[in-house]
Amino acid sequence: MKKQDVIALASMPLQSPTYPRGPYRFFDRQYLVIGYQTDPDVIRAHLPEPLEVIGDTVSVQWLDLPDGEGFGAYSATAQIIPCSFKGEICNFVSQMYVDNTPPLSGGREIWGYPMKYGKAELKVEADTLTGTLHYAGQEIAVGTMVYKHDAFRKDCSKEHELLSRTQITLKLIPDIDGKPAIAQLVGINFADLVIKGAWSGAARLEMMPSVNCPLADLPVKKIIGGMQIVTDMTLPYGRVLHDYLAK
Amino acid sequence: MKAEDILKLPSMPAVSPSYPMGPYRFINREFMIITYETDPELLRQAVPEPLEPNTDSLVMYEWIRMPDSSGFGDYTESGVVIPCTLNGEPLNYTAQMYLDDEPPISAGREIWGFPKKYALPKFEVHSDTLTGTLHYAGQLVALGTMAYKHRNSPDGLEAQAKSMTRTSCNLKIIPDVDGSPKICQLVGYNLTEITVKGCWLSPARLELIPHVNAPAADLPIKRIIGGKHFLSDLTLPHGRVLFDYLKDK
Repeated sequence: MKKQDVIALASMPLQSPTYPRGPYRFFDRQYLVIGYQTDPDVIRAHLPEPLEVIGDTVSVQWLDLPDGEGFGAYSATAQIIPCSFKGEICNFVSQMYVDNTPPLSGGREIWGYPMKYGKAELKVEADTLTGTLHYAGQEIAVGTMVYKHDAFRKDCSKEHELLSRTQITLKLIPDIDGKPAIAQLVGINFADLVIKGAWSGAARLEMMPSVNCPLADLPVKKIIGGMQIVTDMTLPYGRVLHDYLAK
Repeated sequence: MKAEDILKLPSMPAVSPSYPMGPYRFINREFMIITYETDPELLRQAVPEPLEPNTDSLVMYEWIRMPDSSGFGDYTESGVVIPCTLNGEPLNYTAQMYLDDEPPISAGREIWGFPKKYALPKFEVHSDTLTGTLHYAGQLVALGTMAYKHRNSPDGLEAQAKSMTRTSCNLKIIPDVDGSPKICQLVGYNLTEITVKGCWLSPARLELIPHVNAPAADLPIKRIIGGKHFLSDLTLPHGRVLFDYLKDK
């Protein structure tokens, strides 16, 4: 392969790039978001400076992604810490687990989504919207929510606001000598967001301590509640908000 | 988390880094390498300039068992390696790799540019047959079989250890957050502290099944040269840039 074609590749490997160029459109992307109160000192320890703590509430989210352009069909679990950056309310993505290489590697390499390989599942079991996460053979998290108890609610502005917030990731890529090559806070804003359905209701969350999947490091003090959201949306490229290597 | 602590992190995520700082030590790392001859034009297309593929059009299809890998754990890998030259120096270019463990996928891609994807390789002894399989997205894409320890390598263990110090090379591509290329390099590394505990040569066969996202079969098999099976301890250190596509012309 010629040098100019090498530079034009979207990703490794040369013979079958793991992910194509973005942006990436998602159809029928479904969320289960369980918000809870936790220990603010742990939030402070988990949030990279210069992001600022805005409260004691965080969330664990399950995502079912049946149709992601370039990525396929997969599921994810994430832990989100609301925070502020230069006065703007943002969502810091602290942990994320997926079961599919293109979003795992593309997520890490493009935006710095902190993804590891885990088996997330989001499904309706009888009367219960159920999210589970298995990591390295163990069940680490179970989230449950009542199924569409507020079926006739028309106003989805709260869910729209939540998914329109700037997401922030800490992108770390080492250089070949082990020193940091990229150390940035990255900002991402979903585009062309359509809320196709949104429900809220009672929820519960249990997390097992696990060293390589440490969701439980942000312990549950009190459950706030659950949200179920079905969307179409586009994941575009991001922008650098803060560069730790800039002098 | 303070800025100076962030710069000390080996990897994402900050709260539980996928992989620690290297180097990485592998104990009882076991290889089966089946060498075959392929089509020279297809081989040329699969190798990025300025690397030159070997003139004999040889490809090495590998299975590797890694039961004890510092920082990474216990996993299995399978992939395609192409002997090449760079400015006349012989080296091994890794073209495709498939494995079942996330830290070595992420570390492999992010540090050295190993072209790794998640898949389910298996490397086992089934009665009289050393057997490698690779399943990608639920489908069998490679089957390698080798007779079990038919003869010791006539070159001996020291020669095998020396051959493993040969420079290995990857094409490392990491995009910037706007999608433009941020890192686009040929990187080189050399294994160190190598002990070979056994090395055997035996007849082998290999079947590669066409698959768009695991395209080992894009380098078709014209003739099987033979199989090599060896067991080793080794260290994988950091590497160096051999060629930078964004800077070098």
